[in-house]
Amino acid sequence: MQATHSNNSSPGRGVMTLYLVSGLIITALMLLVGLTMRAAQANWLPLPPDFFYALLTLHGAGMIVALAVCAMGALWFLIRRHIELSASLVVLAWVLIMLGVVGVIVATLVGRFGGLYTFLYPLPFDGSWPGWSTGVFLIGLVLVNVGWMIWCLQMLGAVLRAYGGLRGALAWDYVWHREEFQAAGRQPPPPEAFPALVAGFDGLIAGMDATLLGVSLLVRWLDPRVVINPLWAKNLTYFWAHTFANLIIYMLAALIYVGMAHATRRKYHTSTVLVIGWWSSMFFILANYSHHLYMDFVQPGFMQYFSELSSYLTAVPVTAVTVFSALMLVWRSRTRWTLGAIFLYAGLVGWVVGGIGAEIDASIPFNLHLHNTLWVPAHFHTYLLGGCLLFVMGWVFLLLESRSARETSGIMRGLVVALSFGGMVVFLLGFYFGGAYGVPRRYATEPAPGPFIAQFATVGAVIMLIGFTLAFVEGLRLRWNRAVDQPLWPGELKEAPHEG
Amino acid sequence: MDAAEKLLLMFFILAAVAMFVFVTVAWSTRLPEQEQAEVQHRGYAIRGRWFLGITLFLLAAFFATIPFFPYLAAAEALLPAEKVPVIAQQFVFIMPDHFPLNRRILFEVTSRDVNHGFGIYNPEGQLIAQTQAMPDYVNYLAVTFHQPGHYTVRCLEYCGVGHAIMQKDFTVEGASPTPAPMPMSQPSGTNTVPSSNASNPFE
Repeated sequence: MQATHSNNSSPGRGVMTLYLVSGLIITALMLLVGLTMRAAQANWLPLPPDFFYALLTLHGAGMIVALAVCAMGALWFLIRRHIELSASLVVLAWVLIMLGVVGVIVATLVGRFGGLYTFLYPLPFDGSWPGWSTGVFLIGLVLVNVGWMIWCLQMLGAVLRAYGGLRGALAWDYVWHREEFQAAGRQPPPPEAFPALVAGFDGLIAGMDATLLGVSLLVRWLDPRVVINPLWAKNLTYFWAHTFANLIIYMLAALIYVGMAHATRRKYHTSTVLVIGWWSSMFFILANYSHHLYMDFVQPGFMQYFSELSSYLTAVPVTAVTVFSALMLVWRSRTRWTLGAIFLYAGLVGWVVGGIGAEIDASIPFNLHLHNTLWVPAHFHTYLLGGCLLFVMGWVFLLLESRSARETSGIMRGLVVALSFGGMVVFLLGFYFGGAYGVPRRYATEPAPGPFIAQFATVGAVIMLIGFTLAFVEGLRLRWNRAVDQPLWPGELKEAPHEG
Repeated sequence: MDAAEKLLLMFFILAAVAMFVFVTVAWSTRLPEQEQAEVQHRGYAIRGRWFLGITLFLLAAFFATIPFFPYLAAAEALLPAEKVPVIAQQFVFIMPDHFPLNRRILFEVTSRDVNHGFGIYNPEGQLIAQTQAMPDYVNYLAVTFHQPGHYTVRCLEYCGVGHAIMQKDFTVEGASPTPAPMPMSQPSGTNTVPSSNASNPFE
């Protein structure tokens, strides 16, 4: 297998650009939708409830898919530096996902489908929206899922092919038979191969689950006499939704391995701890979903105990491997704190702080008081907005900065950081305070103190979006001042190809 | 300090510790550069201790929370209680308006249509207990009201365009008559192990 090949021209970078640009455009639109809803909860913008919930459905589905698309494109590009991948296949996946996004937009904005992105059975068939919008929404999500599974298959197939099957891709011999492994001159997969393996493997399992659920719901849509067990459907829904959403940040960990190493001018290698950390993450990502069903007392009891334990222990590989490694890269390094480096590093903070909020919510005694309050969007906004989106922005800025003849001024950096992060903190605190005080989530009109808190949150969101707009302008300036003779980053790989 | 303040305090303390670590590490880049091998040598030793410490802490936290789980053993489920059926449907709760003080109430919660949430807010507006209301299933939630006053039940699972207005007020009184049993058809697929909200870990 040819492991080193040009990644500098299309289609390598072209695919990543396609995914990143489309993902970020959808993200920007969904941020505006989110701002609209928060302003409505603040009683500053009158929205009819059916439109509010259609927007909520669009915002949830759109944001998850948009960030996943960004992560898929960036990780695909990084894996293609090591392994030859078919660009046409991943473009096909992108087309299917975008068709799905169009379906979701039509179902929500035209059909006013308001069954939410969790579409818990039997709500999609018991709402105030027309039946066709339910069908279009479900078909849209099925298309997204098919595109996702194609990407997962390509990733999984690539790493299994390149590194000697599952045993090689998991670096089993590297961990357990190190001497023989090294004596044979073998090398473990690079760090970014592990997010690809885990996303491919866990993503396929989640995708199969979604296929089963999607087909069941579509059959129910076609024939209303069909009856589905609601507990079964709820388990399948959360297994898919949790796993898919959770995988986004794990895929983006690859950007930390490559991006932070670049920003700190240090090297990041595969180690035994990294490998074992990813083995455990591979398991925990699949095992955690049941914490969404803590308040379903009919769920088998052992699953509740198991979910809490699993949700707790999932923090170990994240903090002990990815976060700790990133901190070691930065510690007393020659890091140039460009916007790219700042966003990447701040994304780690969002991951950890969001994780703290998640661990509190994953504690069953606290979940009794927090389940389906604003604490839930508090923690997942922290790691999706303050984690995933910042990772993507950091990556884009590192790419732009690497080729630009221009440097971001200190004033601009200060403004972007102060407005983006300051606004984000105020916006997120609104969710945390609302959740702690029992304000329910997904309310078009919230009980007190919800509206009061939402007013602060809305102001915070506006400030954050001004900061993001400045960052966008700065990104354009970096792009316009591109130095043609500057070497591309990340560049071609020169090391020996991995065994195939 | 009420439950909300305790939760927020716990979150802010943990978040502040994390922030302190990140800021300190970022600040270290102002110091003279250190060789990566040297950083790794020291870092790996710290990481080993962190791995052990965080694992033990989380395991301890798991065992510490178990007594507060709302999933009761069968023996506890047999404790005397006033059984009260609750039916949720878009967008109302069908249930009594009055409950007695200091008497164990066993809510039998189900739904006639879609998934709903059954969240009880005390007179101060604090969420004190909840369970899901799911069609075809009954969730059992045991609650003892120790405080008289006006309580509110709110739907805590999105159920359609009327979700935000789906609520029910009831009162808890010292000398209240026994609540009248609500007529209710027994749904299929009910669970056999009742559950309770046990004691409130905040109180």
